Amino acid sequence: MAAQGRIVWVSGPAVRADGMSDAKMYETVVVGNSKLVGEVIRLTGDVAFIQVYESTSGLKPGEPVIGTGNPLSVLLGPGIIGQLYDGIQRPLRELSKASGSFIGRGITTTPVDMTKKYHFVPTVSNGDVVHPGNVIGTVQETDLIEHSIMVPPEHPGGVISNMVSEGDYDLETEIAKTEKDGETIVLKMYHKWPVRKPRPYKNRYDPTVPLLTGQRVIDTFFPIAKGGTGSIPGAFGTGKTVTLHQIAKWADSQVVVYIGCGERGNEMTEVLVEFPHLKDPRSGKPLMDRTVLVANTSNMPVAAREASIYTGVTIAEYYRDMGKDVVLVADSTSRWAEALREMSGRLEEMPAEEGYPSYLASRLAEFYERAGRVRATGSPDRDGSVTLVGAVSPSGGDFTEPVTTHTMRFIKTFWALDAKLAYSRHYPSINWMNSYSGYLADISKWWGENINEDWLSLRSEAYGVLQREDTLKEIVRLLGPEALPDEEKLILEIARMIKIGLLQQNSFDDVDTYCSPEKQYKLLKLLVDFYNRGQQALKEGAELSDIRAMSIIGSLLKARMEVKDDEMPKLEQLDKEMQEQFKAITGVKISN
Amino acid sequence: MASNTALEKTIDKILTQTEKDILSNIQSALTESQQTLDNAVPRLQQEYDKILSDGRKEAEKIEKQIIGSSDLEARNKQLMSLEEAVDKVFTQALEQIANTDRSGNYANLINSLLDESTKILGTTNVSVLTNSKDKDVVQSELSKFPGAELSSETISCLGGVIIKSKDGAMTFDNTIDARIERLKPLIRKDIATKFGVGK
Amino acid sequence: MTVEGGVQYSKIAEIKGPLVIVDDVENAAFDELVEIETKDGERRLGKVLEVGNGKAIVQVFEGTTGLSISGTNAKFVGKVMEMPVSKEVLGRVFDGLGRPKDGLPDPIADKFIDINGEPMNPEQREYPKDFIQTGVSVIDGMITLVRGQKLPIFSGSGMSHNLLAAQIARQASVVGTQDDFAVVFAAIGVQFSEAEYFKRSLEESGALKRSVLFLNLADDPAIERIITPRVALTVAEYLAFDLGMHVLVILTDMTNYAEALREISAAREEVPGRKGYPGYLYTDLSTIYERAGKLNGRKGSVTQVPILSMPSDDITHPIPDLTGYITEGQIVLGRDLFRQGVYPPVNILMSLSRLMKDGIGEGSTREDHGEISNQNYDAYSRAQEVRALAGIVGKAGLTEIDLKYMDVGDVFEKEFLTQATDENRTIDETLSILWKVVSQLPKNELTKVKDKFVDKYYQEK
Repeated sequence: MAAQGRIVWVSGPAVRADGMSDAKMYETVVVGNSKLVGEVIRLTGDVAFIQVYESTSGLKPGEPVIGTGNPLSVLLGPGIIGQLYDGIQRPLRELSKASGSFIGRGITTTPVDMTKKYHFVPTVSNGDVVHPGNVIGTVQETDLIEHSIMVPPEHPGGVISNMVSEGDYDLETEIAKTEKDGETIVLKMYHKWPVRKPRPYKNRYDPTVPLLTGQRVIDTFFPIAKGGTGSIPGAFGTGKTVTLHQIAKWADSQVVVYIGCGERGNEMTEVLVEFPHLKDPRSGKPLMDRTVLVANTSNMPVAAREASIYTGVTIAEYYRDMGKDVVLVADSTSRWAEALREMSGRLEEMPAEEGYPSYLASRLAEFYERAGRVRATGSPDRDGSVTLVGAVSPSGGDFTEPVTTHTMRFIKTFWALDAKLAYSRHYPSINWMNSYSGYLADISKWWGENINEDWLSLRSEAYGVLQREDTLKEIVRLLGPEALPDEEKLILEIARMIKIGLLQQNSFDDVDTYCSPEKQYKLLKLLVDFYNRGQQALKEGAELSDIRAMSIIGSLLKARMEVKDDEMPKLEQLDKEMQEQFKAITGVKISN
Repeated sequence: MASNTALEKTIDKILTQTEKDILSNIQSALTESQQTLDNAVPRLQQEYDKILSDGRKEAEKIEKQIIGSSDLEARNKQLMSLEEAVDKVFTQALEQIANTDRSGNYANLINSLLDESTKILGTTNVSVLTNSKDKDVVQSELSKFPGAELSSETISCLGGVIIKSKDGAMTFDNTIDARIERLKPLIRKDIATKFGVGK
Repeated sequence: MTVEGGVQYSKIAEIKGPLVIVDDVENAAFDELVEIETKDGERRLGKVLEVGNGKAIVQVFEGTTGLSISGTNAKFVGKVMEMPVSKEVLGRVFDGLGRPKDGLPDPIADKFIDINGEPMNPEQREYPKDFIQTGVSVIDGMITLVRGQKLPIFSGSGMSHNLLAAQIARQASVVGTQDDFAVVFAAIGVQFSEAEYFKRSLEESGALKRSVLFLNLADDPAIERIITPRVALTVAEYLAFDLGMHVLVILTDMTNYAEALREISAAREEVPGRKGYPGYLYTDLSTIYERAGKLNGRKGSVTQVPILSMPSDDITHPIPDLTGYITEGQIVLGRDLFRQGVYPPVNILMSLSRLMKDGIGEGSTREDHGEISNQNYDAYSRAQEVRALAGIVGKAGLTEIDLKYMDVGDVFEKEFLTQATDENRTIDETLSILWKVVSQLPKNELTKVKDKFVDKYYQEK
């Protein structure tokens, strides 16, 4: 029996209704004459406290509230890829058909086109026994995505009958039936799943494969693993969004879920405009063919912002269950936390730090716990992963505020954006002294096997130079650069070269925007070699000024832009030139 | 004398030297002043140009300003005269309403005004105010609204009613004046359109 | 939205701060417009912040001074607050609530529009990429503004933000087709002289007839400031999306807006966020700033240049901080440059235009624009480091290259940054000065520009 109540109180996105004793916690309800979507978040006696996912302007006490009997759920099936959804999985393109350029209210649509036909290829036959999670067939969703149709996780399983033959079907077609204990259940190409409940899996593995993003400071210095968690905090203007867009563009995953949670409208538009034109560097297909966008911009209703994170992660888990690597980027978890805070305030709950509810930490933990590399339930065996990358927007750029500090407890890679670096236009402004990666040891094996064995030691050497520079800079600040001996001045020079030639990356440059692991390795090696040869040359009596004047330096610093991924011999050439130039300066000294 | 000659020679020498110095000084002063003069000419020219161009800029500014504001003034006058015209139409319309015949249809109007008002207040247990002219019509319609009473107080209005809950906490103004007031922006637009403004 | 309404309630339970709490309210909607009538027949406007269980909390825009429990009536008007709009609003002056302030009648409305607006559907936005030439070198060259962008000026008390905003408004309106450009100016709690300066400046450039002014001055009611930017943006959206105009909206000073918001929040006894500002300040500000943009299939655009003064010049203060998270960049004025008499005193290292990359380059400005701008950022930032170092070790302790960077800093500030308030530079002039700045350096220092551009534009001495 669905609850049927009456509004008694309205304040912003919060509504109280009485006569709701039949309502369940987290049940979706239809609010008011304009049929707004809401969710029950507290029950007291017969009064339900409801957060409404649409603007409540004009809503009056006395208007009806009707329960739907279902928790907030997403529809999972072919047609999700390439969509732009709002926080509760309404396709924004469909909304615009109903209400034009601005978002209207009370519009109902289906998340995917239920009438579109997909070419379905069955992988099981009548009489086969299936279990929850089993793949029963596939459809080609986009050029990049082969979509597995699975028995829903909470399905009891049974014997397949009435299986359709290979052919084109829409989502509402009954493609098979299962029978078990006399009960018959119809299977379609889609099912629904409640967003606040993690989807089950069989096993969980340690993440050991790096998620390659083509961003040197990430892949080479602070890597994240497939199935791992990462956070990217930064004050405004530090390039958070650009970095997240870069990850969404170039990460070597099969599916990307990008959540714009309380952020700028134009940023989502940018993704929408840009992604269809960008080609995946591995397959050459448009990036939009693997991307799902969830947009609840800052000026859209705040309650739906809270839901958008769960909508996104549930979609990510669904593709994971097909055996795919999925990256979910959430920009920004701080806005999500603020939505929690606002609803908590309206519920008049006792606030903890800075007004955030006391359950902020546990909610964050629950979210990041949905990351992982797993073996999916059912057969055949499928291994997939969900990598979670969350942006944090600390107020005033202060990393000691609650959302940043709590997030740091639940993630393993921390990319600290630095306003000072951004002010000097060092992008990405990831601070190499404050950032860390907990996956370095786990994934170094992959680099060793796939690129070169000395990757980890080169990386440590380069990182060592940066650490030395950090201490030397203090001395320079007090005494000036002339106070340092030549070897240390050289370190400053090398650090500058690492920063410009390796750490900095111009995401708007056609070549520099993506850097293959091979090129990353070679650039790293060139710079470390330069360092070692430079030290050697100084020992052999070369002047620092001669080293500084070497023309190879300019070429090394511009190599990231001037040498394309398929022009690796050019880097070999640079190495040769470097050796010759070093020979020349040490040679001159000896003849003197 | 030898010493004398030597002295003279020295004096002579000094004199010649000084003369040279003086001459050369004069020469350099001359060149300098010439130089200064030469330099001054282009600077003067520049300053002259600047004064001219500043003046021109100022003139342009003033011109723009004059054109801009005279356009605006003309437009504003137009707005004022339109408003006057609209007001005239309005006043005449109100006069007509005030003098409408109170028989026949007018009772239906009062009935619908009463009906609407009591629905909005959610009760018929109300007191009703009206002007002296409408008192009779209202009184005869009130029988259809149980609990409604005509207040002894009269109000001045074109017609229609004001309804109050008995405790005085709620009031709904459903006089013709109030209704017109609510609709005034729309009516103004209608009238203006008839004048051929802003379709 | 129109709901049934018009009922007047006279049972006032409480008056506190800017709020009036009305009892026994049976028929009121959230966000509904309310007319408050005082004992003396004076009328004020307000809106419903919370309604239920027979109570309505009403926020009174003109303040509650002089209101009493008895004799005050609240009429629930049955609709949310609307602004009448038509083409004739151009050249008009309104108060902070959108009522005529120039002695002329109410505009004859083409439409009545809910002042809260509706969120633009991100799917329907057109990504902004049309370069606006402001004629101000530092903006065109380094912090490029594009149509549909929201780019605030972060200033401090007494600095020259108004001069700059007025110069942008004047000069941006000169370029391109004249008729489809409009300026909407909202004064939010600023002094009369500041508003007057702006008005005169528009008048002098002949742009007043293409402008709409909304004035809430320092001595006008504070709570009205919640409404002022919203009526201004409602008009801007109408001019842009109904009439196809390119509208530049100047909102000054958003700090006063946020303070009005804080006052209401305090009166409602809400749990405060940082510095006493409400936790929803971010969301609230976004409902203003996000009203900038362009829409698919529509001709016009709304470009916003909000101005805010940073309390104690502190960029981490919640108002600039939350603004910076919403807007597409920021123009930060620097106290040091201002003290040195530099106009415009823009601290470029802290400034940024996020949409710049798509508005510049071949086809809109020039092929080398992006790279030469990056190189200047890089060089100027290096110059600042060197200056700091020179302050400690003296010029003698600097290397030869360091000294060249000192020159970069000087040329940048004296020739590039510094500009007269009526000096309108073309983009080519601007770019040429940028090359002059970095040409103080030897060619091999130019690591951010491609060699082909160095060959083409580097200015040999």
